[in-house]
Amino acid sequence: MSTSSEPVISDRVAESPEKLRTLLRRMMTIREFEHLGEREFRNGLIRGYYHSYAGQEAVGVGFIEAMDLTRDYIVDHYRDHGHCLAVGLDAVNIYAELFGRRAGVSKGKGGSMHMYNQEKHFLGGDGIVGGGISVATGVGLALKRMGKGGLCVCFFGDGALDTGTFHESLNMASLWDVPIVYICINNQFSMGTRLDRHSSLTQLVDRAAGYGMATEQIDGQDIGVTLAAAERIFAGVRERQRPVFIEALTYRYQGHGIHDKPHNYRTPEEEDPWIHRDPLLILGQRLIEEKIMTGEQIEAMRQEVAAELEAKVEAAKQSPAPEDRELYEDVTL
Amino acid sequence: MATTTPTKTKKMAMHEALNQALREEMLRDPQVLVLGEEVGLYNGVHYVTRGLYSEFGPERVMDTPISEESFVGVGVGMALMGYRPVVEMMRMDFSLRAMDQIYNHMAKIHYMSGGDLKVPMVLRGPEGPGPNPGLTAQHGQQLTLLFAHCPGLRVVTPSNQYDAKGMLKAAIRCDDPVVFLEPGPLNNKQGDVGEDDYLVPLDQAEIRREGTDVTLIGYGASVALCLQAARELERSGVSAAVVDMRSLRPLDMAPAYASVERTNRAVVVEYAWQSYGPGAEIVARLMRDAFWNLEAPVLRVSGKETPLPYAANLEELSKPQVEEIVSAAQQTLK
Ligand SMILES: Cc1ncc(C[n+]2csc(CCOP(=O)(O)OP(=O)(O)O)c2C)c(N)n1
Repeated sequence: MSTSSEPVISDRVAESPEKLRTLLRRMMTIREFEHLGEREFRNGLIRGYYHSYAGQEAVGVGFIEAMDLTRDYIVDHYRDHGHCLAVGLDAVNIYAELFGRRAGVSKGKGGSMHMYNQEKHFLGGDGIVGGGISVATGVGLALKRMGKGGLCVCFFGDGALDTGTFHESLNMASLWDVPIVYICINNQFSMGTRLDRHSSLTQLVDRAAGYGMATEQIDGQDIGVTLAAAERIFAGVRERQRPVFIEALTYRYQGHGIHDKPHNYRTPEEEDPWIHRDPLLILGQRLIEEKIMTGEQIEAMRQEVAAELEAKVEAAKQSPAPEDRELYEDVTL
Repeated sequence: MATTTPTKTKKMAMHEALNQALREEMLRDPQVLVLGEEVGLYNGVHYVTRGLYSEFGPERVMDTPISEESFVGVGVGMALMGYRPVVEMMRMDFSLRAMDQIYNHMAKIHYMSGGDLKVPMVLRGPEGPGPNPGLTAQHGQQLTLLFAHCPGLRVVTPSNQYDAKGMLKAAIRCDDPVVFLEPGPLNNKQGDVGEDDYLVPLDQAEIRREGTDVTLIGYGASVALCLQAARELERSGVSAAVVDMRSLRPLDMAPAYASVERTNRAVVVEYAWQSYGPGAEIVARLMRDAFWNLEAPVLRVSGKETPLPYAANLEELSKPQVEEIVSAAQQTLK
């Protein structure tokens, strides 16, 4: 594992055609999911916050694909819809949560930022920047004690490195040999603040390196890279029982949240290179080059995914709102 | 503190009134500066700092990293050195991260130094379930009590646009640390604001409406609910007075006592959770000092004691309702 600050371009894994098709479909599902979700926000079905994962798909899908969810756990931040889909939660239940319905992942009580699912080992969905990092460290410590080789994966953004709890947690994880992978999804912005305006160092691996753990910066746009890195890193963490910090370089296409207009603080020109290295495009091109799919087949797949999700939106709309008495359930009064 | 009455008023949103206050004070005193997340280049998530970065520049309007504990501490340090920092919490919920600085430093240094040092800073931001719905459990909390509980802090909350401007200006000029709680539900609501330089005192409650049958006592966003309830009660022949507490530390009970002397009944209304909250303190003082004027137990209407739920029906149910105030008022009259 390297501690260099240069992006490590790992070899892509030679995955089976079937696997590559599945990964493309999963990333497409996330992209289309967000697309329809934002539409339903504008239609008034979703209220409050909506943080889109569009553009970052290769990070979540790659890393989660490499996890062993029979024993590993995830602690996430508020940009969580994509990760919920990647662990295999049904889009109906995620939409139902966004609509505030009973069938929602959190029974309609949590909303966009607060999806939790014990069965899928998905421990949130946290609205406080950095709030999950120490929790994830505790989960990792518990997994170590339990001795089944499980590890914890903790996702957060570049902004979370500015919180004290990030630094306190990494120190403890290193001190106590916690099997945890901290994944900083560096999408270049903390809300409207560009990386170099909020972080003293812009190579974020360098901010984690002081805790004596292995760090690695990777290309977060190419799922071949994220998946290969994830498989290699997870194997190392299981074996060595040591924490690792990953900086995945990526970009968020939409505003920070649905009301945010990104062109108030960045130009369409600077978005271009990222959009040219779109994660769906990169994998799509690879499938075409390797003659696994044609362009038409990819487009047909996209349409199929979109139609499926439309049906999920409709199904979620059928779920009733929680009953009034549920206000007082699941809380000590 | 001297107050003046403005000659001209203009309708504007509460965030515009607050923005005017900041701008006027920054023009008046070069020691005043603003810091917080997205307050500068981004113009503030709730628009309060709009335009200040382009007018005053990055030295006086500082965008901070997501480091609440430490940028509150930076505010304390600059205040000790004679600056007048106005530190924004994007949402007051995030001040939980900064509670050590608030409780142990901002609030106490003046006392611990035997009065030698001063901390003339303002910590401000929106609290409670608004302006928009769906804020959910970690972003829409009403944590007023946490600040009001701590000696050494002044804790104020305006109930209208006019006070918002005058009180923020007074808070910035005050030599004590002030926690200025902006009622989230009112952030985008319009009202009359004085156009010129005026101050509203930080330690005086105010009677907003005279009445003879029952006194409704609120603070911040709950004052509007009290006024609405008073109008409904009027239709059924009940004359309700409304008292706006405005400051929770120090707590000025005189207007409430005076009103209860006439009405002999009271209902305390707040968005906060009920147990141990500011409303509990208000009731305790009424018990002590207005007991012999009361004809009925003082009742309370509050936010429901649950985390703020997401589903629209549950969220609505979790907030204090005008009908609940009306029926509590009627109950005191039975
Ligand atoms: C403690 C805390 N402070 C402030 C916020 C408001 N806030 C929410 S997200 C965000 C920016 C975070 O950016 P980053 O960590 O890079 O993640 P991204 O949104 O880019 O995925 C801010 C300031 C918050 N939720 N919690």
